[in-house]
Amino acid sequence: MKYIDMLMRSLSGQRRTLGSFTLRQRLSPARFLRGEGPETGPVALRQRRVFILPTRQGLLFAAILLLMLIGSINYDASLGYALTFLLAALSVVAMLHTYRNLLGLRVDIGPAEPVFCGETLRVPVTLENPAGQARFAVSLHFPEQTKAVCDVSADGWARVELPLSAKRRGRHALPRITLATVFPLGLFRAWAYAEFDARVLIYPRPARATSRPKDSAWQTDLSGDRGQGADDFAGLRNYHPGDSPGHVHWKTMARGQGLHTKQFGGDRAEELWLNWQATAGDTETRLSILTRWVLDADVAHYRYGLRLPDQTLPLAHEPQQRRRCLKALALFNGGESL
Amino acid sequence: MEHLRQALAWRWRQVERPQLWLLTGLTLALLPHVGRLPWLLVLPAALLLGWRLGFELKLLRLPPRALRWLLVGLAVAATWASYHTLIGRQAGVALLVIMLCLKLMEMDKPRDVAIVIGLSYFVVITVFLFDQSLLMGGYMLLVVTLLTTALTAFSRMNAKVPEHANLRLAATLLAQAAPLALLLFVLFPRIPGPLWHLPSDGGSAGTGLSETMSPGNISRLSDNDAVAFRVRFTGETPPQNRLYWRGLVLTSFDGRTWRNPNEARRGLGATRSFDYTAIGEPVRYTLTLEPHQRRWLFALDMPAGAPPRSTVSADVEIIANNSVKTLRQYTLQSYLDYRLDARHAPRDFAYLRLPPDTAPRARILAQQLRAESRDDADYVQRVLDFIRQQPFYYTRQPPLLLDDPVDEFLFDSRQGFCEHYASAFTVLMRAAGLPARVMTGYLGGENNPLGDYFIVRQSDAHAWSEVWLRGRGWVRVDPTAVIPPERVENRDDLERIDPAYAARTREAPDWAKRLWRKMGYGWDRVNNTWNQWIIGYDKDTQTAFLGRLGLENVDWQRMVSLLFIGLGLVVAVIALQLFRRRPARRDVVGETYARFCRKLARHGLPRKPAEGAQDYSERVIPCRPELAAQIRHITLLYQRLRYARSIPRDGLYHLQQAVRRFRP
Repeated sequence: MKYIDMLMRSLSGQRRTLGSFTLRQRLSPARFLRGEGPETGPVALRQRRVFILPTRQGLLFAAILLLMLIGSINYDASLGYALTFLLAALSVVAMLHTYRNLLGLRVDIGPAEPVFCGETLRVPVTLENPAGQARFAVSLHFPEQTKAVCDVSADGWARVELPLSAKRRGRHALPRITLATVFPLGLFRAWAYAEFDARVLIYPRPARATSRPKDSAWQTDLSGDRGQGADDFAGLRNYHPGDSPGHVHWKTMARGQGLHTKQFGGDRAEELWLNWQATAGDTETRLSILTRWVLDADVAHYRYGLRLPDQTLPLAHEPQQRRRCLKALALFNGGESL
Repeated sequence: MEHLRQALAWRWRQVERPQLWLLTGLTLALLPHVGRLPWLLVLPAALLLGWRLGFELKLLRLPPRALRWLLVGLAVAATWASYHTLIGRQAGVALLVIMLCLKLMEMDKPRDVAIVIGLSYFVVITVFLFDQSLLMGGYMLLVVTLLTTALTAFSRMNAKVPEHANLRLAATLLAQAAPLALLLFVLFPRIPGPLWHLPSDGGSAGTGLSETMSPGNISRLSDNDAVAFRVRFTGETPPQNRLYWRGLVLTSFDGRTWRNPNEARRGLGATRSFDYTAIGEPVRYTLTLEPHQRRWLFALDMPAGAPPRSTVSADVEIIANNSVKTLRQYTLQSYLDYRLDARHAPRDFAYLRLPPDTAPRARILAQQLRAESRDDADYVQRVLDFIRQQPFYYTRQPPLLLDDPVDEFLFDSRQGFCEHYASAFTVLMRAAGLPARVMTGYLGGENNPLGDYFIVRQSDAHAWSEVWLRGRGWVRVDPTAVIPPERVENRDDLERIDPAYAARTREAPDWAKRLWRKMGYGWDRVNNTWNQWIIGYDKDTQTAFLGRLGLENVDWQRMVSLLFIGLGLVVAVIALQLFRRRPARRDVVGETYARFCRKLARHGLPRKPAEGAQDYSERVIPCRPELAAQIRHITLLYQRLRYARSIPRDGLYHLQQAVRRFRP
């Protein structure tokens, strides 16, 4: 499998430089099983990447047709022949329609919001239909994941959020998307693969609420509390236009004393070093604990920093800090797969 | 009341539309079988369909697994009780129908739906085993369309399309499939069936002639207008009163009933070479026989051979290898004048045998008349004269003859139809020692002026006699024909028995009757064409048709390769139509502006890549100040056409004009 993988990679690389398939590549069974390899941008489903085979229903239909033919021969029923042939012709026509239902669609993906391990990623996928006829019941799915089904109107587009369960932390290549359809009769299934050169980020699974970091991890900076923080209530001042409505002190207003804005300290509050050394257990457990601490510290509006064996993220308290820390935890020590 | 109506409307909206298409299609597919199946199965099938509808209306629940199996057992038992078998055409169809309805009780997965729809298509073909008429064909096309609609509806369950869109899609698919189907129908090599011997159906009674005849037992001759067969003559058409269509010979008589003895001998290859001399020119014709579930075929008296897959019996009956279950078409030659077995008297005493103690008065009459006559031929004439002179009447409702049918008919009642006359005449022949037999078949036929062919109906069924005379062989004698017209009770019968007399005395029919008759002929002609080209399209017709297309002597290998070439071409045409690329929409505004840019480029002022129209004009104007006004005008028009919220009227025209006039 690994070998095929490498082969495919080299093939796809070669394709990019040559710009077209050789016959050998075109007929390669690996392409049939594994698709084209990762690529960027919208993927147009052209003839060479749309495959079609009968479904189980289609095979059943064929078996019934065979029975009907035998019956017609046996009973010399001319209308029986006619019906059998009409249905056989119908299935051929249906095959063309099924193929057309997928052909020419353009698939693209958008960035997926990172999630925690164990949750479900929602990958936004857009299907663009450049043709003058609508597409119906196009199903999309990641391998072994729930399907999403959508219709695309003529000259229109559709957007679906494709679920992908996050199983391992780290940054992973987006798996291949399978697009399939059995419309209009369910006798044939046309399918195509779209594999995008995209990564998804999965944060470690946060541990259950644990004990707070040991005291040694706490440091206090008393120079703060200038009323610009967000944690500790520090007093009231007159309202200025532009103040957050969430900080308006409604009680004083209710007492008829005018609009006041609550001021908070907290920039003075405890600074928190989330330290790898302060945790115990194997790597993943420690990462889980640290993830939990990051989330708690973020909610509690601490200034916090993260010390990992291979890097240190300085103390900060800004919206990006949470993201930065979680990413560092996700990518720690081989989180970057592939 | 209003409340109930609303509740029903609500439930109706709950029904999944694909299920509704399926149930409608299935019900309509089963409908033609209703008359053929016993009530023991029809009723449960209807109940099961209703149950499913109730389930879809969210009124009922589907039965649990154990009950389903119980129902399957009951269905098999009911089928067995009705037919005493589970295979064969009738029982097989019954079992299929009831099992299909039972499958509705567990239809929740797409696979179940596929099975149900596939088997529903199969039900359609089982209807064709019984009825292949034009009307049924049209009806079943509707059913197939509905079932296909169900398939399309199931394949896009959640799409927001109006329901008639599914119907239209199914019709489109079928219309695109039609040329392929036609090609397959014409070129697919026809294999003469059956592939294996089928168990005969006990229950199916055919219409038309039977192999026994008991005059006196029936008090009323049926007036069945159903078509027995149609005939098209190539060349000259014989006169109507010579159209004796030979069917089955009845030889053995037990005093009440005439029987065909060959029924027992059949299958033993009991054909005998007979001595047959044809006189004059043969008559050629193609006969299209409606299925009658029996093995005998009909031919004009006297056929000169047997069509394929049939043999000629010792009594010159044509017996098919298998019973005629579907329309059968064959071409034959007959000689109206012939000598049959003229050289040797028949050695078989069966032609002379009369049961003792029957018809004593008839025997005395025979002795008496024979004694008076010079020879056998004279005796035949004297017997016919007896019938003509004595007050014999032709009627379709004769009295029942209880004791001795022959004597009672000849001397007491003297009322009867062809069977009575043929029976009594044959008995009189045998009583005088002349070999004689009863022949059953059809007489005459109705000429369809719109299609130039004859329609022979069940009501044209007839019986006559054959007598062996020394030196002349078997001679046909029709004692019914000697009854004078005034003693024929019914005008319609007279038309058959003595067409010439009937024609002379016929009243002119009024216009409504004429129109009605004409419409009848037209409809029969359509049916005949359907029969000839669709139902009767078998191996022989196929060869003939391909020959007319210039493909003589096509063996099946060539036929298959032709078929595949044709299929490939038709599929290619359909695919081209389906996958046709839409011509790329032209960007006329951009093209016009590009022409303007090219004109400037020829004068050494090309537009840089990614240079906006505004920047371009500002860069170019200082180089060619004399063109400033034109350049500004063109640039402004272009920008407006491209970016303005409301596109200026005639803007494109003005831009095109300006660019055309622009000469740097």
